[in-house]
Amino acid sequence: MEKLNIGILSKRKTMLTGKLKDCLEDKGFNVSIYTLKNLVINEMLLEEDFFILKSKSLFFLYAGFFLEANNKIVIPNPQISFMQKNRIHSHFLMKKIGLLTPDIYLGTVDTFKNNLDVNDFPLILKPIMGSGSKGVRLIKSFKDLKSEDRVIIYLEKFIKGIHYNIYFIDNEICTLIKPPLSHEHVNMKKIETPDDIRDLINKWRKFFNGDLLFGHLDIVREDTSNRLFVVDPGSFPEFSNWKCSRSYVENICDLIIDKYRKLKKNFNKN
Amino acid sequence: MKKIGIIIDKYHLKYKVSDFLKYLKSKAELSLYIEESFLFNSLKLNFDEDLFFVKAKGDLVLTLIKFIEEETSIPVINSYRGTWLAINRFLNSLYLKQASIPIPDFTLNPKGIIPPFRDYIIKNIIDQKNYKFIPIVHKENGQLKVADERALNEVDKTDPRYNYLYYQKFIKSKWEYKIYGIGEDIYFYKQLPILVNPNKMDSRTRIEEIPELKEYCYKAMEVMDLKITSLDFLKSKDQFFLTDINCTPNFNYIKNGPQIVADFLLKQAKK
Repeated sequence: MEKLNIGILSKRKTMLTGKLKDCLEDKGFNVSIYTLKNLVINEMLLEEDFFILKSKSLFFLYAGFFLEANNKIVIPNPQISFMQKNRIHSHFLMKKIGLLTPDIYLGTVDTFKNNLDVNDFPLILKPIMGSGSKGVRLIKSFKDLKSEDRVIIYLEKFIKGIHYNIYFIDNEICTLIKPPLSHEHVNMKKIETPDDIRDLINKWRKFFNGDLLFGHLDIVREDTSNRLFVVDPGSFPEFSNWKCSRSYVENICDLIIDKYRKLKKNFNKN
Repeated sequence: MKKIGIIIDKYHLKYKVSDFLKYLKSKAELSLYIEESFLFNSLKLNFDEDLFFVKAKGDLVLTLIKFIEEETSIPVINSYRGTWLAINRFLNSLYLKQASIPIPDFTLNPKGIIPPFRDYIIKNIIDQKNYKFIPIVHKENGQLKVADERALNEVDKTDPRYNYLYYQKFIKSKWEYKIYGIGEDIYFYKQLPILVNPNKMDSRTRIEEIPELKEYCYKAMEVMDLKITSLDFLKSKDQFFLTDINCTPNFNYIKNGPQIVADFLLKQAKK
C-alpha cells in the first residue's frame, strides 16, 4: 500500500483530530497535525501528499486555498467548507439549493434601533464567520443589543420550534433533538429520522455532487408551520453525539482515503 | 434617466466622492446606501437601479453586493468576488501569482516564526478598513524590516485579532508605479516610494504607457473580476512586482478622474 504523508489542518490535536490521526496511523500512513501555532502557509507546506481540512477558521481556509492552488488535494474541499463557515455565503447557498433558512439582518446597533420594530424580535446574534454556538446570543429586545459603536452586526430571525442536530456520514443519517442554541457536545436525544429531514439532507448532499462525504446541519422545525429551516451547516463536526451504527472515526477515515484515491486517479488522468 | 446606486461608507462619502457625485448627479438619478446607516433586511430589499457602484468594503457592503448579484440582474462595480479578493491580501497574492503576474515572495506565519527571506515588509492581512499606511521601519545589521502599523494592530490590539503576520519580500525600487484601470482605460503614474517620501503626491507624475504593466493590469482585473482598480508596482533589476491591488481606488488623483469613472459607469448601466 502507498505510504501517504497526510497533513491535518486543525485548531487542536485532541478530540476527533487525535482520533483521526490514530486511525490513519493504524492504517500505515504518516500523519502531521498543523495547528495555528505551527501552520506556516508557504511552499514548505507542499511536502505532504494531501490534507484534511478539519477546522475552518480563516487561516486553515487560506491554507486550503493555497494547497489547492498548488495542486494538492484537500478534503473536504476548501470552497465548500468556506461556503458553510461564512454565514452570508451559507444563507445564499441555502436559497440557491431551495432550502428554507431564516431571514438575516445586518447593520449597526443604532440602525437596528432606528429601523426594527418590537415585533421583529426575537433575533439571534451570530458572528459572520462562524459555526456552532460560539458567539451566538439570543436577542429578545433592543435592550439586549449592546452599543458597539459603528460595528456591523449580523442578526438572524429566531425560529421557534424543535431544534435538531443532524449528522450524516456517507448515506447514514443520525438525527438528534438538541436544546436551542446549544453546542454540539451537550447531551442530545436520538430519534428516528423523519422522512422530510431525510429528504432535506439528501437534497443538501446532492447539490455537492459527491463532494460532501459527511457533515451536519442544525435544523429547526417551526412550531406554527411545521416547516424545516436550516440554521447552521457544518462541514466537519466533532460527531461527539454520534449515536448510530458503526464507528464514525473508522468510517470517516475510510471515506477520506477513498476520496483521495478517486481524486488522485482523476488528477493523474488529467 | 439612468438610476445609479452608490454603496458607500461615511468615510468615502465625506472625503472621496464630492466631485464624482456632483458630476454623476447631473447625468443620472442617484440613490445612496451608506453602510453605517443602512439596514440590510433580506426580506425587504427591492431595487430598481440600473447599476450599483461600490465605494466601501465592510461586511454589510459585501452582503449587499452578494444579495444584488444573487437576487437581481443589476450590474455591480466592483463585484463581490473582486471586493472580497482585494480585501484578503493572502488570497489575492495567491491568485495573482497563479496567473503569472510577478508578486514579491510572500508567506503567512504565526507570530514568532520568521519568514524565509531577509528583508521584508509586514502588511495587514484583511484590508477592510479605511486606515492610512503608516510604516514602522527597523534596520538591524543591514537587514530591513518594515511593518504596516495596521498589521501589528491586527495581531496585538484591535479587531480582527489573530496570531498571524503576512510577510512580503521587500523590493528595493527607485520608483513606485501607480496604475489605474477603469474598464479598458489604463492610466500610468510614478512616485517616490512612501518610505522615501511619505507624501506620495509630492513626487507623483503621469508617465507614458508601459506595455508590460498594461498587460499585468488587464490580467489582474480579469483574475480578480475588478472593473475599476489601482495597482502598485515596484521595479527591481528590470523586473516589475505587483505589491498591492485596490478595489476602491482614489480616482481624484487622475486628471478628470471623477468624470471618467462616472461616464464609464453610465456606459455599463443596464438601460
